[in-house]
Amino acid sequence: MIHLYGVVDGLTALPPLAGLEEAALERCRVDGLELVLSRSQTAQSAEISRDSVLRHAKVVEELMGRSAAVLPAQLGRAFRDEDELAAAVRAQAPQLERALERVRGCVEFGLRAVSSESVGELDAASGTDYMRARLEEVQRSDRLVAQLHEPLAGLAHEVTLQQHGGEISAAYLVAREGAEAFQDAVARLERPPEVTVVCTGPWPPYSFAAEARQ
Amino acid sequence: MSTDRQALQYEVTLLELVDRVLNKGVVLSGDITLSVANVDLVYVGLRVLLASVATMEEQALLAAEGARR
Repeated sequence: MIHLYGVVDGLTALPPLAGLEEAALERCRVDGLELVLSRSQTAQSAEISRDSVLRHAKVVEELMGRSAAVLPAQLGRAFRDEDELAAAVRAQAPQLERALERVRGCVEFGLRAVSSESVGELDAASGTDYMRARLEEVQRSDRLVAQLHEPLAGLAHEVTLQQHGGEISAAYLVAREGAEAFQDAVARLERPPEVTVVCTGPWPPYSFAAEARQ
Repeated sequence: MSTDRQALQYEVTLLELVDRVLNKGVVLSGDITLSVANVDLVYVGLRVLLASVATMEEQALLAAEGARR
């Protein structure tokens, strides 16, 4: 089985670490696209464990530091052999090339605002209570968007935003040169006391690796 | 910052990592030659992991809530 870590451009050298199942990392070219992969002896897909998640993430992060652009691959897909991998890459080559341009020179930041008040609140007895609780949730997450997301969105090339259960989760595609200004803006955010706001990054651009991802 | 809040921040960070690695990223769709059994295994592993992360987050939230009371 072949495990794919990402599509890279301008990779200087492979990072000095092993991939999943301690297999060596390899570079491989399919048409104009360069891939980083490893081969495992097992016939099945790698078991998704905490270790494999962390190893995949570590490899992709190391690739980001050594490349002009990297498209992280989703963990959980494996290819039987090189022909299968090459066919899959060729089938999406134009999209992959566009996505590489889109993330070139950029990093991703994540923002998650978790409100402890929203846990298990929606089991209200009557329909009216339910609707009221639901409305409050929507209003709460709209306030979080205005307070937390909007000041940051202007500093990003692209954003994704999800609102659910009175909480928000957002990702920002930011130019490397703008990363410091972005982090300063995060530090200046007015954080509502009832929510825990966690800003993470810089990440490889996972959330912007595919086109038209909602 | 309280220890509970730090624990929650840690769990949210872990959630952010797992969400990216398993749910985001480019998908070069698994070829049809990938057997159904293998695909099922992937999904089972994924659900188990996500469930355990969700549980940790919930516990951290409850702990944070309890500390304020």
